[in-house]
Formats: sequence, C-alpha cells, structure tokens
Amino acid sequence: MTFGARLLLLAVMSGSLLQYPATGHARDVTALNVSIAVFDPGVPENRSLHRDLQIFPRIREVEAKFLPFVLRETLVESGEWGAVRVVTEPDDAAEVAISGSIVHSDGERLELRVRAVDATGRLWFDRSFSASLSDDGPPADSGETGSPYQALYDAIAKALLEARQQFDDRALGRITEISLLRYAAELSPSAFGQYLAEDEQGRYVLRRLPARSDPMLDRVERIRLTEYVITDTVDAKFRELHGEIASTYALWREYRRKSVEYDRQNAERAQESGSAAPRGSYEAIKTRYDNYKWDRVTAQERDRLAIAFNNEVGPVVEAMEARIAELETWVDEKYAEWHRLLEELFDVETELNRASS
Amino acid sequence: MCLVMVACTPAKPVIDEQMMRIDGEMPADFSGSWERDYSRGDDVNQVLRDIYYYLSRTSADRAYTTRPGPVRPSSRDMQSISALARLAELITRPQVLTISQNDQEITVDRKDDFSLLCAFYDGIAKGTESDYGTEICGWDGAQLVSHLILPDGLQVTHRFTVSADQQQLRVVTTVASNTARVPVTLIRFYRKFERLPPDFNCIETLSMKRVCSTGEIGL
Repeated sequence: MTFGARLLLLAVMSGSLLQYPATGHARDVTALNVSIAVFDPGVPENRSLHRDLQIFPRIREVEAKFLPFVLRETLVESGEWGAVRVVTEPDDAAEVAISGSIVHSDGERLELRVRAVDATGRLWFDRSFSASLSDDGPPADSGETGSPYQALYDAIAKALLEARQQFDDRALGRITEISLLRYAAELSPSAFGQYLAEDEQGRYVLRRLPARSDPMLDRVERIRLTEYVITDTVDAKFRELHGEIASTYALWREYRRKSVEYDRQNAERAQESGSAAPRGSYEAIKTRYDNYKWDRVTAQERDRLAIAFNNEVGPVVEAMEARIAELETWVDEKYAEWHRLLEELFDVETELNRASS
Repeated sequence: MCLVMVACTPAKPVIDEQMMRIDGEMPADFSGSWERDYSRGDDVNQVLRDIYYYLSRTSADRAYTTRPGPVRPSSRDMQSISALARLAELITRPQVLTISQNDQEITVDRKDDFSLLCAFYDGIAKGTESDYGTEICGWDGAQLVSHLILPDGLQVTHRFTVSADQQQLRVVTTVASNTARVPVTLIRFYRKFERLPPDFNCIETLSMKRVCSTGEIGL
C-alpha cells in the first residue's frame, strides 16, 4: 500500500474511533478515578481444605464479584472520588487501583485484605479490614439489603481518603497525568514510551509531558473514553448482579450466622454433658456419639444451604459472566485494533513531520 | 468367631495408610437407594447372648474360682457391653440408606443421623476432624470402611460390601470402647430399590425453599 493510501485509510479509520468528544473541562484533581477489581475469592487450591475451612468455592466466587460493588457504593456515596468502577481485571493504569481478597466470610465476620495503589505505582495501603455483625450496620435479619458489614467498607473508604490526603494537588495532578500516559504507553509504546521512566523503587515518574495539542494524546484520551463506556457497562452488570442477588445473599449470610451459632451451641452442650454420666454407660457413650453427630449435621446442613444458594444465584451469575465476557471480547478486539492503528498513525505522522521538515 | 478374632489379635489400625489410597477408580460402586432386608441380619439380643457366652468362657475371673466350667461375666462387663449394643442398634436402625458416589466422594445418607462421607482428593482419603471426633475411611479390597474415633476410646466402624449383582448390600457395624472388653458387631443387609421417577423436578433454593416444576426449572 502506498504512503498516500495508508494515510487516507488511517484518516478514515481513525475518524471512526474519534467519535467520542474529548473532555475539555478542568478536573478536580482530588477526585481521582478509582478502579476496583473483582476480589480474589481466597479459595485455597487444595480442595481437601475447603470443608475444614468451611469455604464454599462457588459462593466465594459470587462474593468476590458482589462485595467490590458494596465498596464502590460506599466510595461513590462519600462524594470524595471521581468515577468509581468495578472491573473484572486489575487495571494497572488506573489513577487509583484497588484490589482485594476475601480472607474470611461467614455470617458473623467478614475479613478482607485490601490493597490500594496509585498510577505511579505508589502503595497507599495493603492491610486487612474486618467487621462483625456486632459492629455498626443493620442486623442480618433486619430485611435491609444494605451491608451489615458497612463498618468495614467505611473503614476502607476512610483509609483511602487518609492516604489521598497525604498528597498535595500537584502530586494528585501528577497521578492523573501518569495514569493517562501509562494507558497511552500501553496502547502506543512508540509514541508514549518516552514520557515515562521507572525510578529505583519501581515507581513511574514523568520524564516530560507531551504537548497539550499532541493529536496522538487526544486520540488516546478518546479511546480511553470509549473504553470507559464499556467499563461502565460492565460496572452496570455488577450493579444488576448486586440488585438481583442481594436479598438471597442476605439470607445466606443469615443462615451462615445461625450455623456459627449452632456450632457454639453444640460446643456448649458438649461441655455441659461431658462428665454427667458414668464412664462407659449408655448415656455417656451416646453423648459422645451425639456430640459428633450434631456437629456433622450442622456442617452438612451448611453444605445443603450452599447448594441451595448456588441453585438460586447460579443462573444470574452465569448470565452476567456471559455478558461481561462478550463485552470484554469486544474490548480486547477493539484494543488490538486501536493499538495497531495508533502505532501506524504514529509512523505516518513521524514520516510526515520528517518530510515537512 | 469374629468376636474371638477381634479380642485376641493385637491392636492394629482399622484403616491403615494403604487403605486410604486409591489408584484410579473407586473399587466398588455403592450408589443407589437401599432398603433394609429384615429377613436377614443380626438380632441384637442374640449378639448379646453370644458375647455373654464368650465372656463366660474367657473371663479372667475364672482364675479365682475352683468351680469348673463357665463363669458368669461381671455385671460391669455386661453393662458396658449392653451400652455398646444399644448404641450399635441405634446407629444401625435406619430403614433406608441413600448412597451417592462419584469419582471423588461417597456419601451415605441415613435418616436421623449424619451422613457418612468418604472423600478422596488426588487419590488420598481425607478424613473429617473436629473437636468431637475423627472420621476416616478407606478401602479394604472392595469393602468400603468408615471409621469414627470418638473420645474415651469409643469407636464406630462400618464395613460396606456390595454383592456381585449390585443388588444387595451388607453393612457390618462394630462399636468398641475402652470401657468394654469386647466390641459389639451387628450385621445388616439391604436390598437395592429404584425410586420412582418424580412427577416434578425440584431444586432447593434459599429464598423460595423447594421449587418444583413439571418441566425445566428456570429461576
């Protein structure tokens, strides 16, 4: 293909991806965009441990998709942040990227390990947050769909805010710039790889900024906006999931809480009946047998409820996963196309500049 | 004969490490619904009489008497054995066993009792351990062995054997304790039966409990 033909083709093709207007308004630098990746379910690979740890893998997978949305809602309601999105994969170029894993989740206590990193690669925090039903929040059987572990999400939001308050406006502005340039460098390394460097701590630093009128940067911003439209659609799917399974999840949590309570009652009964009957008597050996029996019956009831939960929410989750997979396939395909186009545009423009000079 | 062997052989684990390993498929298939065959199996009173007879011939108390012949077993011995027999009778009471089996797990559902679970991960049996006891299982040839170890030396062992035509099941249940000189063993037989295909397809859910439909269930 001749240089002129390539130029014409790229002009047409680039026009099609430049249909979203670039944002021209000034941003509040403190309102960083936050990207929350679906949590790590925290399921050990060794399947033989699942029963001992009372971990139900399918339910953990649902929780891993469900709980980030509750955090998202908390951050949105705080009004301290820009766009807060739940994404399926960690977004390294995000202004603030949150990832997390479920450490413990039963009806009584939730513990999450949460990590927040900004676009420069600076770690804001990486620590555990936990809350019990006795902490603030509606009781599990109140019928409210709000999280009974709201105290936990509030604590994460507070930690995030405190971390952000360590930075002045200039530093926050730098995070936004680096975020865009990291995204741009991933999309078109030839054009944007030169603007960033990594320091000795592995953090991204700006070597220099592209010109504000750089058409390549303008294109990248438009592509990013296009991608955000899809990300927001994916985010909306998480919202739908939350809406559809919140009441079932609340029931599951309530059953789990009761199960923990039964475990406690079993322990108390075993303690009380321990030495009452003469050793070797029918009452004594039956008590031993019954203690084990009730412990197993409680555990097996938990298994049955987990299956009931999966039966109910499984189809909803599967439909959501299928739709998200479609969207992500579309994004992946487009991303590859954008990547190729930008690289070719950069070549063409470089050649043009060289020719004109 | 069984009693004599159990009482005389040196203590050996009911399930050893070899029994807890399977190489490939499960050695036998127990899956299905099994109904108790009351025409066969042990009568607990007869088992107690046999034990009484056995103890009266082997009792250590014989050394202290000049009278020849059997010696009445001590009331303490008989009380502890009666206790084991009552428990064995209680445990083996279910009329129906429902056994589900796949490549990794065998679950024996029993009415009014916990389900026996035998799970293999990567070919190795995984026991169930709690503050109240330990449950392990394994294969002794084509016999499935489930062994429950409870405090005070109380032990409950089930040995499942399926007939060659897969229509009969024999379950040998042994209850032993540190407090009793001999264990009590009860044998139960079961016949396979086919459950009628249900008129409705049902699934359990949390919010709607049991949901049934004549067609496919779409939630």
